Amino acid sequence: MSKKTPNNSSKKKGNVLGRWLSRWFRGGSNQLAEELEKSAAGMDKEELVSPGKQVLRNFLERKLAVGALCLLVIMFLTMIIGPMFMPTYSDSYTEITQKSVPPTMSMMKVPKELAKDIKMIDGFGSFTVGLSNAGKVYIWGATQIGTTGIDIADIPQEVKDAKITMIAAGIDHIVAISEEGKIYCWGNNRLGQFGTAEETLAAGGQLNPNIAYMPEELATEGVDPSHIKKFTCGYQCTAILMDDGTLYLWGNKLTYGNMDVFLNAAGLKDIDFTLNYVVGLNMKRDSVYTGTRGLYDVAKDNVSGPTQKTKDFLNGRTITSLTASSSSVCLLLSDGTLGFVGDFATNAIPVPALVNGEKFVQVVGGSYHYTGLTDQGRVYSWGSNTQGQTDVPSEATGVSRLFSGSFQSYGVDENNSLQAKWGLKGYLFGTEVHGADIFQRIINGGKMTMTIGAVAVIISAIIGMIVGCLSGYFGGKVDILLMRVAEIFTAIPFLPFAMILSSIMGRMNLSENMRIFIIMCILGVLTWPGLAKLVRGQVLVARESEYVMAAKSMGVKEWRIAFKHILPNVMSVILVSLMLDFGTCMLTESTLSYLGFGVAYPRPTWGNMLNGANNATIINAYWWQWLFTAMFLAVTTICINIVGDALRDVMDPRSSVDK
Amino acid sequence: MGKYIVKRIGYMVVVLMVLSFIMFMIYNLVPSNRAFTDANNDIKTLKGNISAEERQARFEELYLQYQRRYGTDVENRVIRYLRWVGVYPLYDGSFNGLLQGNLGYSYDYQKPVLDVVADPMKVTIRINIFATILALGITIPLGIHCAVKRGKWMDQAVQVVTIIGYSLPTFLISILFIWVFCSKLGWFPPSGMKTPGSNFTGLAFWKDSLYYMALPLIVMTFCSLGGMTRYVRASMIEALSMDCIKTARAKGLREKLVVYSHAWRNALIPIVTLVVGWFLGIFSGSLVIEQMFAINGMGKLMIDSLNKADYDVVLLMQMFYVGMSLLGNLIIDIIYGLVDPRVRVNK
Repeated sequence: MSKKTPNNSSKKKGNVLGRWLSRWFRGGSNQLAEELEKSAAGMDKEELVSPGKQVLRNFLERKLAVGALCLLVIMFLTMIIGPMFMPTYSDSYTEITQKSVPPTMSMMKVPKELAKDIKMIDGFGSFTVGLSNAGKVYIWGATQIGTTGIDIADIPQEVKDAKITMIAAGIDHIVAISEEGKIYCWGNNRLGQFGTAEETLAAGGQLNPNIAYMPEELATEGVDPSHIKKFTCGYQCTAILMDDGTLYLWGNKLTYGNMDVFLNAAGLKDIDFTLNYVVGLNMKRDSVYTGTRGLYDVAKDNVSGPTQKTKDFLNGRTITSLTASSSSVCLLLSDGTLGFVGDFATNAIPVPALVNGEKFVQVVGGSYHYTGLTDQGRVYSWGSNTQGQTDVPSEATGVSRLFSGSFQSYGVDENNSLQAKWGLKGYLFGTEVHGADIFQRIINGGKMTMTIGAVAVIISAIIGMIVGCLSGYFGGKVDILLMRVAEIFTAIPFLPFAMILSSIMGRMNLSENMRIFIIMCILGVLTWPGLAKLVRGQVLVARESEYVMAAKSMGVKEWRIAFKHILPNVMSVILVSLMLDFGTCMLTESTLSYLGFGVAYPRPTWGNMLNGANNATIINAYWWQWLFTAMFLAVTTICINIVGDALRDVMDPRSSVDK
Repeated sequence: MGKYIVKRIGYMVVVLMVLSFIMFMIYNLVPSNRAFTDANNDIKTLKGNISAEERQARFEELYLQYQRRYGTDVENRVIRYLRWVGVYPLYDGSFNGLLQGNLGYSYDYQKPVLDVVADPMKVTIRINIFATILALGITIPLGIHCAVKRGKWMDQAVQVVTIIGYSLPTFLISILFIWVFCSKLGWFPPSGMKTPGSNFTGLAFWKDSLYYMALPLIVMTFCSLGGMTRYVRASMIEALSMDCIKTARAKGLREKLVVYSHAWRNALIPIVTLVVGWFLGIFSGSLVIEQMFAINGMGKLMIDSLNKADYDVVLLMQMFYVGMSLLGNLIIDIIYGLVDPRVRVNK
């Protein structure tokens, strides 16, 4: 039964849009039904169902299509609203230590046995290593090392047997020192992360001039653990600093340009690794030493603010220790205050101002953040907060020691049990080759993909409807001319042509936004002929109907009949076709971007996110880098097609008669 | 009928001319000057002690010479276009364009474009013939079956699978199949055209290349399955709802005879036209699949040439694609006219 809704705008003369909408979705005969209902009030009458309602009823009967529609709506909302919840997201975010991390949420999952008995925790890349007071090693996080097939969590038997007293982790290797002073290493050693020159030669390899091999005496004699002052790992390097200033340093020289300076260095008080430099603390001169003039010789007292020459900055204070993150170094000074050298992100969280003579006693550094402990037991984190590294939880009180992984901080109390942990839990969908979170890129890429599809469809709809309407209504010479034009466009092979245009544009110095807009236009301009033909067919049929005759006899202008009387009546069919076109445009954009002729990195779209998956090795080893994106793309386009097909079927009167 | 065909061919020629003009103009947007490059190269190879002025003079001379040879000595784009087609004389009064058989010169391969295209074309045709036969062999029986058993679970399952098939982009299907069949199951080689380093002849060569072609073939077939099955099913349903079918059934004919003789013949009209048009596609090659599986066919040549900015090859291939698609439309129209006289009357 057709029910009159108070909002029905068919009576409101001024509300053109409302009338249009009402006619598209409820059908022209709806008004007629209302009139009938009014006149036949109180009498027995046959049920009248407007075509729009009939379509809706038939559609709702199709469970699959309704499900697909729901999924589609959810998908759209996610892509539109999702990016708003990612304020820290940036297209060009890259993170070398988090490259190709598989989907995991275990990056902060300290094993239960360890959590009660922590001696130390260290991490540099995607995994973290912990050591218990009992001398047992625990590893958590993403432990697969790239395509090498090495799983860093496979602790060698000799390490399990030994009682380990110190441990440190690099990007893809772990170094452990036992109580007897023997050094154990495991993980990836292809770039000299461990292994002496002799071992390499014995294994039939050749010496690589870019590798500083592990010192021979270290492998044979070991070190005295009680005299180790600092033991730390860099990207693919390891350093052991003894009390007397002796430094053992080995690893890949290509990652640390100034490593040669330190190979023969002595008299160091402290040492650490940023991502590109080895930084040391000279015993005699109280300054950060990198061996490179001009680098790191100015300091400041917070993450931002004016810098001073280190000597002026120190002003009589001395540097107690230094901690390095990826691009900066934090100095703990003798009076319990901090100094900073190096670069910080512009939106870095600053160090809170301490009051009442509170002093920092320990500072640990992750990849982009620092966590400090004061003498009153309070914990503060500062630096970049892209992964929640600086959100110190409230239970972080009563902490006596701090440790940090690359994006995590761990607070341990006096009983060696874990008190608090905060930072990066992991990546739901893993990370891509540049280290960015795939989930975030999927959401933002979806927005881009859908925008491109939508704009392309709008362009194609405008051209297609105008051409189709003119061609169908006026016929004759106009029809022949317009249909020939449409034929020219249909004859253009779509993908090659779009590729040529895109490739030529690439050589024309356009901004990325302009390029994307032109891609939208190309897609739109190349897809309109199909729609124009459909509209033309519909208009040809509608032209013969009574209401057009009536309008004609009333002397309504021709163009007005075509666009205001006929077009709204054939709109429902056009909308379905537009929906299917939207799916096609999304697919075409993805294919273009996949082949490298569409939107370029770093802008994410679902197509160019799959760009890397072009050979069997990567497809297999880094399955998460394409599977999730592919699933989003597939679900969206499948849903669009299912819903569009179902709508087309229920709108086609013939198919409903057949059923 | 003859008049109709002539009319269609006339249209086609006009469209081809318009498109070639558009293509040429787009191609001319590329900032490159071949005459300048060639003259520069010639000057560099010049030996002996020549003063800078003389060198400059020689360069000017060579540059003009090359410009005249390539027909770029005029700024007018329309004249350049006409020269490229071969209907406007070059500086020395001779014609050297498409109509004279000059299809361009590939700078990357250092040989005429026609020689560059020949080998990839063979590869593409070989693969596509297999793919087309395979696809037709599956889709037609499947489509008929679904139409006859309309609404049954089998039909519904095929409907869902075909929707998935044509909703997924080709590259995604390729990735999925490589993952499943190469990485996980290890049945097929992931890419290439023959065992590296092998030099088989005769039967061994065919066996080897079939083994390498298998996965691309499967992907190609799978991709074309969706659309074609639905098309066959739709036209078969149309045919089955005709009055003559009701009559045939009322006469008491066997169901098999009704379906395969009466209905199928009526359904054939749209299908045949589509298949003919489709066969022309075997020359074009799939851009994505050839790229994915490292098959040296037309599609891969196109992408490689685009990446290397070898635009003479690209332009010719583009013209070839356009020609193929126009020819396909023409043949479809003509066959439609042949099998269905109503079309001719309407036009």
